[in-house]
Amino acid sequence: MLRTWKAMSKRARTEALNGYLGILPWVLGFILFNLGPIIASVYFSFTDWDIINTPKFIGAGNYIKMFTRDPLFWKSLQVTLMYVALSLPMKLAAGLALSLLLNLKLKGMNFFRTVFYIPAVISGVAVSLIWMWLLQPDYGIVNSLLRLVGIEGPQWFWDPDSALFSVALMSVWSVGGSAIIYLAGLQNIPPHLYEAAKIDGANRWHSFWNITIPLITPTIFFQLVMEMIESFKVFTQAFVITQGGPLKATFFYMLHLYQQAFEEFNMGYASALALFLTICILIATIFVNQTSNRWVYYEAEVEERA
Amino acid sequence: MFKKRFSMILSVLVLVSMLISACTTATPTATKAAEPTAAPVAVEPTKPVAEPTTPPAEPTAVPAAPVTIEWWTVPSEDFSEEVQRAMVAEFEKTHPNIKVNMTLLPADGYDSKMTTVLGTGQGAPDVAFFWLAEWLPQALELEPYIAKDNFDTGMYYPALWRTYALFNGKVVAMPLSVGANFVMYNKDMFDAKGISYPAAEGVTAEEYVELTGKLADSTNMVWGSDRPRAPFRAIWFSFGAQPHSDDNMTVDGYLNSDAAVKAYQWAWDLVKTNGTPSTSDLETLSKTQATGPVELFLANRIAMSTLNQGHMLAAIKAGKNFGIMPEPYSKDKGPYVNAWSLSVGIYKGSKNPDAAWEFLKYWAGPEGQKFLMDNGTLFPSIPTVLATSQYKDNDAVKAFFKVLELPNVNEWRQTHKCNSTVVKAAADLWDMINLQKIERDGIEAQLDSMVPAAQTALDECRAKLITK
Amino acid sequence: MTASTKSDRKPTLWETLTSPRARGRAETIFWYIVMTALALVFMVPLLWMLSTALKKPEEIFAYPSVWIPAEAMWDNFRLALTKYPFARFIMNTFFLVGINIVGELLSVPVIAYAFARLRFPGKKIFFILMLSTLMIPSQVKMIPLFAIFAKLKLTNSYWPLFLPSFFGSPFFVFLLIQYMKTIPRELDDAARIDGCGTWGILYKIILPLCKPALAIIVVYTFLWTWNSFLDPLIYLNDINLFTVQVGLSMFKGMTGVEWNLFMAATLVVTLPILVLYFFAQRYLIGGIASVGIKG
Repeated sequence: MLRTWKAMSKRARTEALNGYLGILPWVLGFILFNLGPIIASVYFSFTDWDIINTPKFIGAGNYIKMFTRDPLFWKSLQVTLMYVALSLPMKLAAGLALSLLLNLKLKGMNFFRTVFYIPAVISGVAVSLIWMWLLQPDYGIVNSLLRLVGIEGPQWFWDPDSALFSVALMSVWSVGGSAIIYLAGLQNIPPHLYEAAKIDGANRWHSFWNITIPLITPTIFFQLVMEMIESFKVFTQAFVITQGGPLKATFFYMLHLYQQAFEEFNMGYASALALFLTICILIATIFVNQTSNRWVYYEAEVEERA
Repeated sequence: MFKKRFSMILSVLVLVSMLISACTTATPTATKAAEPTAAPVAVEPTKPVAEPTTPPAEPTAVPAAPVTIEWWTVPSEDFSEEVQRAMVAEFEKTHPNIKVNMTLLPADGYDSKMTTVLGTGQGAPDVAFFWLAEWLPQALELEPYIAKDNFDTGMYYPALWRTYALFNGKVVAMPLSVGANFVMYNKDMFDAKGISYPAAEGVTAEEYVELTGKLADSTNMVWGSDRPRAPFRAIWFSFGAQPHSDDNMTVDGYLNSDAAVKAYQWAWDLVKTNGTPSTSDLETLSKTQATGPVELFLANRIAMSTLNQGHMLAAIKAGKNFGIMPEPYSKDKGPYVNAWSLSVGIYKGSKNPDAAWEFLKYWAGPEGQKFLMDNGTLFPSIPTVLATSQYKDNDAVKAFFKVLELPNVNEWRQTHKCNSTVVKAAADLWDMINLQKIERDGIEAQLDSMVPAAQTALDECRAKLITK
Repeated sequence: MTASTKSDRKPTLWETLTSPRARGRAETIFWYIVMTALALVFMVPLLWMLSTALKKPEEIFAYPSVWIPAEAMWDNFRLALTKYPFARFIMNTFFLVGINIVGELLSVPVIAYAFARLRFPGKKIFFILMLSTLMIPSQVKMIPLFAIFAKLKLTNSYWPLFLPSFFGSPFFVFLLIQYMKTIPRELDDAARIDGCGTWGILYKIILPLCKPALAIIVVYTFLWTWNSFLDPLIYLNDINLFTVQVGLSMFKGMTGVEWNLFMAATLVVTLPILVLYFFAQRYLIGGIASVGIKG
C-alpha cells in the first residue's frame, strides 16, 4: 500500500486524503461500537459461556459441536436457505412492480402510496400478530373468504408443507418499504430519455426494458444485497408465530441462535453460530458483488471509464 | 436549500420536544389501573444451573442515613403498577430510612434486560424477580439475614419453598405468590348437554376424553376441552412417566417407558375426538405460555379448559357458572398439580444488601403479599395469609386451595434441570400428534427412535451441570 | 386510423370506444381498479386491527368472527393511552427521531460521497468491512455493547440510542452511494471548472440532486427509531424515558395480551409515521435529476 501511495500524484493524494476524511465518521463509529463487540463475540465463540458466570475457554469445541453433533444446525441452515431462495425473488419482483404502480401519475396517488406503505411501518411483532390472525386456518379472514368461494384453504402456518411459504408471503406484504426505494431510483431517470425513445417509435414495453430497467439496476443491486442480508437473518415471524414449528418447518437459523443464546444460555455456542452465519452472508454478498459488474449500470462509472 | 429547510424543521421539532420533556415533572405519577384482564402470573420455570456459590458476607445493622434501593418489577394482572406503588408507599411509611426506586419493565422484555445486566455486572437492581434459574448464581445468599431476623421460612408452602427458594442447597430467593393449573369446567355447557358435573376429585384421563367428545360441537367451533400444552407435566406424571431417570443419567426406559407411551396415546385419543382446539387455534388466540385462553372459556366456546388462578378470578368477576377440578389423572398415581411460584431475590453485588433485605422481607413476606392480595389479585404463597383471602368462601376458590395440596410436578422438574432439554429433543412427536400425522400404534416406535438424540442432549446438559 | 382520415361525420360507437382519448381514460380506470383492489388487500389487516381495538374482550374470540363490534368502545383508545404515559412515550420517541435524523443527515452524505466519488487505497476493503457489520446478528453484539456503554456510564439515558447515528448507518451509506453513482460526473467536472472544491461539489451539486434518497433516509430513520424495541429496553430504566415500542409491550402481560388495548395503542402509534410519509412524498417523487445537461 505504501508503494501505491508513493506512486500517486499530488492530486491523487489530496483526493485520497479527502476520501479518508470522508469515511472518518464511519471508521470512528466502527471502532467505538462495532470493533469491541465483534472481537468479544469472536472470543466468546471459543468459550463456553452462560452469560451469568465467567466464560471458560474450550478452543474449537463449539465449532466441532456445530458441524458434528448438532442436527438442528443443519436443519436451521437448510430452512433459512430455502426461505432466502423462496422469498428473495418474490420480494424483489413485488417491490419493483409496486414501485412502478406507485409511479403512475394518477390523482390521489399520495393516498395510495401511503396505504401501501402502511405495512412497512408497523413493527415486525405487530405484523406477525396480525398475520397470525389473518392466516388462522379455522376463522382467519383469508380462509373464511376462500370458504365463501368454496375453496378449503391450507393450514398456512400450521402445516409443515405450507408454513415456510406463509412466512415468505408475509414478508411480501411489507414490500412497501422497498418500493419507495425503487421509487426514488425511478425519479432519477431523466424523462427526456423516454421522450426521445417515443420519438424513435419505441412502445412502452421497449422503454421499460431498455431505459427503465438498466437505469435502476443500481437500486436493484442495493435491494438485492440488503434483502438478501435481511432474509438470512429472518427471525421475528418465526419467534412470534410458529416458534420454529410445525415440525421445524420454520426453524430459522436465527431462531436456533436466539434459543441457544437466551433460552439455553449457551452464549459461547451462539457466538460461534453467529460467526458462521456472518461468513456465509459475506460470501454470498461478495459473490453477488462480483457478478454485479455484468448487469449493473452506473451512469457515473461509464463516464469514468470513458 | 433543502437541507436548510429540513434542518430548520428538525431543530424546531427537537427544541419543542426538549421543552416539553423538561417541563413535565421527573417523578413518575401513578396512572389509572385498567380493568384487570384475565390471565395473571403463570411463568414457566426453567431448569436451574448448578454453581458453587461464594460464602456470604456478614450482615450489618440497618444504616442510619436514608438509603435508596433499586427495585425492578413488572406490571402484572395480579399486581398492577398502581398497586405496587401503593405497596412501596406502605413500606416506606414503616421504614423511613429506605427509599425504594421502582422501575417498571414490560414482562416481555424483563428477561433480556435482566440477563444483560447480570451478564455484564453493570446496572443490576438491588431487588428483583429472579424467576429464571440461570440467574440464581447471581442472587445473594439469604441465610445470614434470615437467621439474624429469626425469619420463619416455614410459613411458606413447603413444596414451593423447596423448589423456588433454594439453589444448590442454599437459600437465595423467596417464593412470591402461588399459581397453579387446574381444569375449569363450564357448568352451563354441561347442563345444555345434560351431563352431570364431574366429581370434586376430578376425572380420570379416559373419562376426560369421553367428556370432550360429548361436549364438543365442531360445526359451531365449540370445543369440549383443550390439549395439554406440553408432555411430561402433571398428566404424564400421573401415568407414572418421567422424561429421564432421577440420577440424570438415562433416557432409555423413561422417555419410552410403557407409562410414557400410554400417556402419549391418551393425548392422541384426545386429539382424535376433534373436540379440542388445534395448536394454531391456541397459539393464535392466546400466546400464553402454560394455559389455554380464558377468553374462549368466557365466550362459552370451550367446556373444560386447563387454566390458572388468575383466569379463575376473571371468571368469577364475569359471573360465570363454573367449577374447578384437578387435571385428569390415571388411577395408578392419582392427580398431580402443576403449581408454581415466582422467585424474588437480592442481587449478589448489591451495594445495600441490608436495606434490600428489609424490602425483600416485606415484599415476599406476609405483609407485602397480604397487601397485594387485598389490593390486587395475587394469591400468596403463605397458607395462613392465603386463608384470609376475600374469596375464601367461594366454592371455586376453595377447590383451588385443595388443588394446591396435591403432589407438585414442578418439584421434580425444577430439581432435575435437564428435563426440558430431553423433552425438547422429543418435540417432533408432540408436533406429529397435534398435527395428526402419526398413528396410535406408531407412537411407541417413534419414542424409541428419539431416545438416542435425547440421550445425547441429556449427556451434554449433564456435563454442563457438573463442570459449573 | 386517425380522425383526419375520416370525414367530418359523427364517430361510430366503436371509434368512440377505441379512440386514443377513450383508451387513455379506460386505462386510467383500469389502473384505479387495480390500485383500489391492492389497497384493500393492504388495508384489511389494519381494518381488522381497528375492529379489534373497538371490541370488548369477549368479542375478540367470538365465532363467527365479529367484524363490527356490537358497541364501538372508543374508550379503549383513551384507556390504552392513559394506562401508561403514552404522550410522554411519543414525545420521547419524537425527540430521538429528531436527533437521529440530524445525525444521519450529517454523517451519511460525507461517507457516501467518499465511497462514491473519491479514490483512495483500501476503499474496497473499507466498503466490505462496512457492509459486513450489517451481517453480524445483533443478538451477539448486544451484551458486549451494553458493557461498553455501561463502562462509559451512559446507561439509563438516550446516549446509546442516538450516538451511533452520528457515525453513519451502513444501510444509508450504501443507499446513498448507489444513488450518487447515477449522477453523471460531468456535473462534478463543470463545478470544478467553476472553482468548486471537493466538498463544495458534494454540498452544492450532488446533494441537491439526491433529495429522494435523503427523503428515504429521513423516513427510514424515523421508522427504525420509532419501531426500535430491544435497544431502548436494554438501556432505559426510568419509565418516563421509555419509547413507544417499549410502552406498547407493557400491554403484553405475563400470560396474555390485552388485545383491544394493544391494537388501539398500536394504531395510534402508527399514525405519525404515516403522516410524515404522506408529506415526505413530495421529496420522494418531486425531484427529477440531471436537468438539462444534454441540452
